[in-house]
Amino acid sequence: MIGPSIVIKGEVSGEEDLLIQGKVEGKISLNGNQVTVGESGEVRADIFAKTIQINGKVIGDITANEKVIISKSGNVHGNVVAPRVLLEDGAMFKGSIDMDPAGVGKATVAAPQAVPSAAPQIKPSGLDLKSA
Amino acid sequence: MNAFAAQPLPNPPTQNSKLLPALFQPFDVGQAVTVFHVGSALPETVDFFSSYRCKLHFVDVFSALPIVNDEEQPPSLLQQFQQLLHFPEHTRFDICLFWDLFNFLDSEAIRAFLAVLRPHLKRTSLAHAFSVHNSRIPQKNHYYYGVQQADTLSVRHRRATPPGYAPHSQRELMELLDCFRVDRSVLLPDSRLELLLLRS
Repeated sequence: MIGPSIVIKGEVSGEEDLLIQGKVEGKISLNGNQVTVGESGEVRADIFAKTIQINGKVIGDITANEKVIISKSGNVHGNVVAPRVLLEDGAMFKGSIDMDPAGVGKATVAAPQAVPSAAPQIKPSGLDLKSA
Repeated sequence: MNAFAAQPLPNPPTQNSKLLPALFQPFDVGQAVTVFHVGSALPETVDFFSSYRCKLHFVDVFSALPIVNDEEQPPSLLQQFQQLLHFPEHTRFDICLFWDLFNFLDSEAIRAFLAVLRPHLKRTSLAHAFSVHNSRIPQKNHYYYGVQQADTLSVRHRRATPPGYAPHSQRELMELLDCFRVDRSVLLPDSRLELLLLRS
């Protein structure tokens, strides 16, 4: 989890699920995992993951191998690429939605691959933080 | 509770449409479709199109109203629409959803809107629009729409009327929509008109 007072500028990658309640600016690549942007989360980054749930604010493109959910408290300004997209009533969305599986495949190939974590059981090592 | 479990979609008021099914008739479920929707993204619209291999482009032009030309103050109408409709160069739309849009754009703005859109249309593009059949009757209520089913729209009241409401007569609108022709139209209550447009 990235807590409410944490600010990260750079690239976040790894092999575990991630809950963002703080601020992230840069790129988030967790291709085989879930990324949740919590209600207090503010992300200015492209997000690549298996499933992505947005409850907070995101400015950037979102690419998921399986599913994207933009909940009623979510606010997304960017393009979404995923085979399944769910928008809840009240969600704010500005951009395009690509639910074409061929397009998702291309986007996934283009996305950076997560680097295997040496010690995934230790939370900090699951995040590869490269300062901008 | 699984945070990724789907939430049930709400049931907003609906409106049957005789012309809407014609938009989807050329496309089988699972076929690639590129859609331009002028307005807010609504849950039911995204859910409906999820059965297609779909690219949905949402542009809420209504939130940018009024869009008018100020000869002394840039940006021009064309520049305003170029900023709003910045589609990827290769994008070509199969379906355009223009619900109520032309009631809020003056003649110059409609021409500028179409000038920016035209390069992104196919020879087979289809469009669906709502207009009015009597431009002198004021419309009390204003709505925004989603696709519930192939023949059913969801209808929500706008909390406030967007600025610039000045609907065109049918004849004037047909002249302005120079890259479309009206295939069929249906009179609706409250002086409204439903239009199915084909690329001309």
